[in-house]
Amino acid sequence: MTALTFTLKLPLRQRLDVSPLVPDVLLGKSEKEIALLPLQYGNRRIATAELFDIQGGDAESVCISGSPKLDFAGRAMTRGALNIEGDTGAYLGMQMKGGRLCVSGSAGLYAACELKGGLVEIAGNAGDLLGAALPGNKKGMSEGVVIVRGNAGDRVGDHMRRGSILIEGRAGAYLGARMTAGTIAVRGDIGPCAGYAMKRGTLLLYSSHSEIGATFNDCGMHTLGFLPLLLKGYEGLDTCFSGAPASLARVRRFAGDLSVQGKGEILLVA
Amino acid sequence: MLIKLTGGTVYDPANGIDGQVRNLFIRDGRIVHSLNGATPDHEYDLRGKVVMAGAIDMHTHIGGGKVTIARNLLPEDHRADPEPRRGLMRAGCGHAAPSTLTTGYRYAEMGYTAGFEPAVLPINARQAHMEMADVPLLDVGGYVMLGSDDFFLRLLSSGSDQQLINDYVAWTIRSAKAIGIKVVNPGGISAFKFNQRMLDLDEKHVYYGVTPRQILKSLARAVHELGVPHPLHVHGCNLGVPGNVETTLNTISGIEGLPMHLTHIQFHSYGVEGDRKFSSGAARVAEAINANKNITIDVGQILFGQTVTASGDSMRQHANAGHAHPDKWVCMDIECDAGCGVVPFKYRDKNFVNALQWCIGLETFLLIEDPWRVFLTTDHPNGAPFTTYPHLIRLLMDKSFRNDMLSTVNPEAAALSTLGTLDREYSLYEIAIMTRAGAARLLGLTDRGHLGAGAAADITVYTDQADKEKMFTRPDYVFKDGELVVRNGEVVKVVWGNLHTVQPEFDGGIEARLRDYFDRYHTMKLDNFVINDWEIEGDGRSKILVHPCHQGARS
Repeated sequence: MTALTFTLKLPLRQRLDVSPLVPDVLLGKSEKEIALLPLQYGNRRIATAELFDIQGGDAESVCISGSPKLDFAGRAMTRGALNIEGDTGAYLGMQMKGGRLCVSGSAGLYAACELKGGLVEIAGNAGDLLGAALPGNKKGMSEGVVIVRGNAGDRVGDHMRRGSILIEGRAGAYLGARMTAGTIAVRGDIGPCAGYAMKRGTLLLYSSHSEIGATFNDCGMHTLGFLPLLLKGYEGLDTCFSGAPASLARVRRFAGDLSVQGKGEILLVA
Repeated sequence: MLIKLTGGTVYDPANGIDGQVRNLFIRDGRIVHSLNGATPDHEYDLRGKVVMAGAIDMHTHIGGGKVTIARNLLPEDHRADPEPRRGLMRAGCGHAAPSTLTTGYRYAEMGYTAGFEPAVLPINARQAHMEMADVPLLDVGGYVMLGSDDFFLRLLSSGSDQQLINDYVAWTIRSAKAIGIKVVNPGGISAFKFNQRMLDLDEKHVYYGVTPRQILKSLARAVHELGVPHPLHVHGCNLGVPGNVETTLNTISGIEGLPMHLTHIQFHSYGVEGDRKFSSGAARVAEAINANKNITIDVGQILFGQTVTASGDSMRQHANAGHAHPDKWVCMDIECDAGCGVVPFKYRDKNFVNALQWCIGLETFLLIEDPWRVFLTTDHPNGAPFTTYPHLIRLLMDKSFRNDMLSTVNPEAAALSTLGTLDREYSLYEIAIMTRAGAARLLGLTDRGHLGAGAAADITVYTDQADKEKMFTRPDYVFKDGELVVRNGEVVKVVWGNLHTVQPEFDGGIEARLRDYFDRYHTMKLDNFVINDWEIEGDGRSKILVHPCHQGARS
């Protein structure tokens, strides 16, 4: 059976909440039921079939054609695969618990926010607050892996609790701000204020241009035994961080954020 | 507009009507004896239905800075309880701290037509009024907070004449457009800023050298002498502290016969008996209230679930901040004259302390004999959101339901409580006293809370059911000032409520003194405190209603 595919008939004029288009909801539904599934489109509710051509039948693997107005894709999904062909809007994979969510384009604000498990792959760029907590909430991403092949915006991993965010491009300001724990690795340059008010957790930075704030204490160069083990954990994932050379690196360790008596670390790969 | 309500079973305690079948007539928003032969424009067949005046919540935090802070602090409270646009109702959200519009709709859908905000700070009164003005379908009013403000404490510590204090109290009520005076942890909010972490009834404020007992007496006397109908509204010392029942009993005896309203008494009725040093003081408090006719109370019942506590009592809120759930809280000073504490809280039925609090509240309801002096509140949202009132009414009216619930709470607490042995069940008449007639009388609202000729036509019609929770959740009809606003539990028309106030007289000389004081010591000037009529009525929605003060109370 081929993947259950939703193709947009026309460009979206309003924001569209596609949170029902996940394997958990679609499994066991007939073609007709899926066609009638109501979606929130701007300020009205509309049947799925009015917006999408629906083809294929395997609801374990769902494919949606992308749009920057497509919000909440893969929200709270627990199983199966969801592929977005193109860009997606805000709240991609919000509170997702399991399965695999892939975006071939870029994602908007709050991608993978409060992620609780599973794998999120974004081939393009990610907006601000990747893997963060929703506004006012105390706990961001708490499990799972996020891979971004492009760049990420500001405040990646805000209030992050556990899990890994792997960014192959650049990252913006306030990387890992207010982190409680977890790992964020960035291949490219980063913006100012990395690790602001972080309690625990690891920022693994590969760019020599990274500026570290005054509230982080330089602990010197180290060969850390745990680093190869950490990176070995990413083996099997399609990312540059899982390659063998990365694991041989020596790192300069900065401890902080001392302004909140944090026990986190920023590791600069030499 | 002429309306006839035919054949309903009327419960109108203010006029001594206990379940008699009556016709009611409404002419242009007022209840009248008869229509003088005119044909009604609308007639409603209420045969077999229960008819009461619209309910009045005399202590509910629905406006002012702390509600806004609670909303800002708890976005999850809003996300978890969205209220989409529906019919005439605009969208809103919030379980513990709902948005203004949603507050109004939900109250009206339960048959409430008035709610009184008990903690209006003089400097925040404008914002509180604007927020309350945005609550549809509900009459509102506020008690303005004094007792921890520098000007008053200076007057008291310098041994000023009571007359001067009276003038200041009257000026504050008038300028804040309030209907009464509230005192929160008398002097304690100020003492907190002088590094005192508790202040018992006879403990001196380290800077001003005055005690809460003096503050209470002075303010209660002022309110009484000014003839303000609502007695001093007191949130006492030591809220939530085990053993505070002694403080409460001393407060009752210490007021020496002056009228006083003790609010959310449940939080002030804790003993220190038992292995856990936490026990019920409800029986002793109820005994004292039964014996002292000058005292009225509202209960501040807790009900289990997530809510948020919002209070001016920054001293006690700071002490309780460790219990915050979710773990975040706000305690702050307000213009050096007051404070505010917002601590989210989850009451759990399996928790010993919470279960006993639940029992203490219900014991208080059942042990106080005179329903005219006890009022049904959860101190919304501090004990529970106001939407739990129908559940609370069922707990009071249905003994077997109450005992079923008692068997599900923490067994250790249930065993310690006398609740299981209390057989009292409230009648519909007594519920109508607590939630209507008594509340109106306590506030001096002569034309609300009853169904006699001349009263405003705020009327709620229920279908009598065995399950009182169902009955009080969904009235058949609610009339607000003669307009049908709710039918079968759904809002069918949106109208705007009135603002209830009193305007006690004072000597204008106080203004010059206050102007000088504010100019010298405050960031805000006198004019910031004075709210003009047009600010309330200018948009044509709310009307200001002024209730008369008693005559000759001044000694």
